[in-house]
Amino acid sequence: MSRVRFLLAFAAALAALWVAPLVLPIGDYTHNIVGLTFMFMAAALAWNWLGGYVGQISFGHAAMFGVGGFVAARIMLSSGLPFSVAWLLGGLAAGLFGLLWGHPTLRLRGPYFSIATIGVGEATRLVATYWSDFTGGSSGLSLPLAGNPTKYQLYWYGLYLLGGAVLISYGLARSRIGLGLSAIKEDVEAAGDLGVNPTLYQDIVLFLSGTMVGVCGGFYASYQAFIDPQDMFSFDRSIGLILMAVIGGIGTVLGPVWGAIVFVIIQEFLLANYSELYLGLYGALLILIILFEPLGLTGLVRRLHRLAIPVRRAT
Amino acid sequence: MGEVVVLAVSAVLLAGFYAAMAYGLGLIYGVLRIVNLAHGGIIMASAYVTWQLFDRFAIDPFLAIPIVLVVFFAIGVGIYLGLVRFLPRGPAGAVQSLLLLFGVWLVIRNVAYLLFTGNEQVIHTGYATSSVRILGGSFSATRLAVFAVATVALFTLHLLLTRTYLGKAIRAVAQNPDSCTLAGINVERIYVFTFGLGTALAGLAGTLASTLFAFNPSFGASELLKSFVIIVLGGLGSIVGIALGALVLAFAEVFAVYAVPPYLTTAVGFVLLVVVLVLRPGGLFGQRVLR
Repeated sequence: MSRVRFLLAFAAALAALWVAPLVLPIGDYTHNIVGLTFMFMAAALAWNWLGGYVGQISFGHAAMFGVGGFVAARIMLSSGLPFSVAWLLGGLAAGLFGLLWGHPTLRLRGPYFSIATIGVGEATRLVATYWSDFTGGSSGLSLPLAGNPTKYQLYWYGLYLLGGAVLISYGLARSRIGLGLSAIKEDVEAAGDLGVNPTLYQDIVLFLSGTMVGVCGGFYASYQAFIDPQDMFSFDRSIGLILMAVIGGIGTVLGPVWGAIVFVIIQEFLLANYSELYLGLYGALLILIILFEPLGLTGLVRRLHRLAIPVRRAT
Repeated sequence: MGEVVVLAVSAVLLAGFYAAMAYGLGLIYGVLRIVNLAHGGIIMASAYVTWQLFDRFAIDPFLAIPIVLVVFFAIGVGIYLGLVRFLPRGPAGAVQSLLLLFGVWLVIRNVAYLLFTGNEQVIHTGYATSSVRILGGSFSATRLAVFAVATVALFTLHLLLTRTYLGKAIRAVAQNPDSCTLAGINVERIYVFTFGLGTALAGLAGTLASTLFAFNPSFGASELLKSFVIIVLGGLGSIVGIALGALVLAFAEVFAVYAVPPYLTTAVGFVLLVVVLVLRPGGLFGQRVLR
């Protein structure tokens, strides 16, 4: 897709989604869930910058989600700053936190990095759970009602988040940095020899990814109006981001967006009734996708596309 | 002074268990270049199998070890033949194998949850409360038995890898699979066997863990992490490296009680990991295991 066509399609989609709730008869429940899904899409895209573009699978993104959420909540509780500023500050805190653990661990490749992120996630969760002065411990934090947007308004803020994440995804993939990232993914040492600084590039991506996920955490805090560390920092949250990206197509530009839709549908409509099966279902999905269609939905669509449009023969 | 000695003995006992726990992960990584993310799930599953054998058939956990080894060897072979075999080898398969085995872990956890609920389980053996005095401290007989079993298992494994044709073949495949094919070694069969052996070792670790700790379906995450810390610390070269890595981790954890609140002891291993990776990316001992 050329750049112009992409931007046109992007603007059209954004405008359509912006006016949709105003002109279409959408129920409150659907409206709110769609708003939340926008946030998940943005977070899954952010995970994909690191997990897909660079191939560094993080099992610890819940740490940044939680840091973003709690910093934003604390700022809203203690100062009169508007919620959007609180989200951004929370996101920055999360991005910096990402750099703090990421700078030493990103020199690891593949499985080594991944397992280190399991450690990051668990350690952060433990500290957050016991640091009750900041996080409220197991009783959590309630956000002030004044100044906090309603779920109805959050639909549009979710849309802005998604719009930003899509633009960054596209920009990263098409830029010099994106080329550098694929080079690092293929072969770190060769990339280094060609003048791509792997440490710098990966730090940049982790910072971007952590900041975006942190802002999503702030959004989630506003959405729930109540947060507790067990939920914000849970391992399941990190797993959720991985699943969205894998279902949609890991490493593709827009795959995580479609993955997030499937993920939310599974969660809201199937698992509401069978909550004891969710881990197994996610696990089975992962196994099936990796074995049969490693690029997820994107791979499936590409395959169907090839089938539908026969190869033109030279005449 | 006396307290330090007691803690040191305690750390050594813990290290025995840790070494046995880490070896399965290290073996599979060394030969197949795959990190078995289902390692923690296997440990948890084996703890449940041991508990069931004890609860239903009154088989003592330590006598259940042969059964557990056979069962989990078969499970490992099954996972390899049914799933892992289809993944691409080399760096391209690394991400895929990670996600695939992570999926296996989630499924195992869910099955355990469905069968046995999320409640904590404990195995109460008749000798659970008996203890032995060593160097002025009293240590439970179970912990000594776990240490003994782990040590015997590691020595047996060492002999298997260094003294038998099969062991030599495994080590050769770890170094260079292509030349092994030329030398007439069935590399695929070595992969199957190694995956089975690594899984059986994780099974052994689960049985040992079940006698020491309470467990539930999410048990195993920190065991996976610790196993990983140990193979990074010690390198994959030898039993000695694994044993040293396990000792370092166990001492750090046991003596951390002086410095950090108890709930943070789990994080000690992780901090150690990051520190070592920053200072010595090749691991503390032995050859470089990280690129």
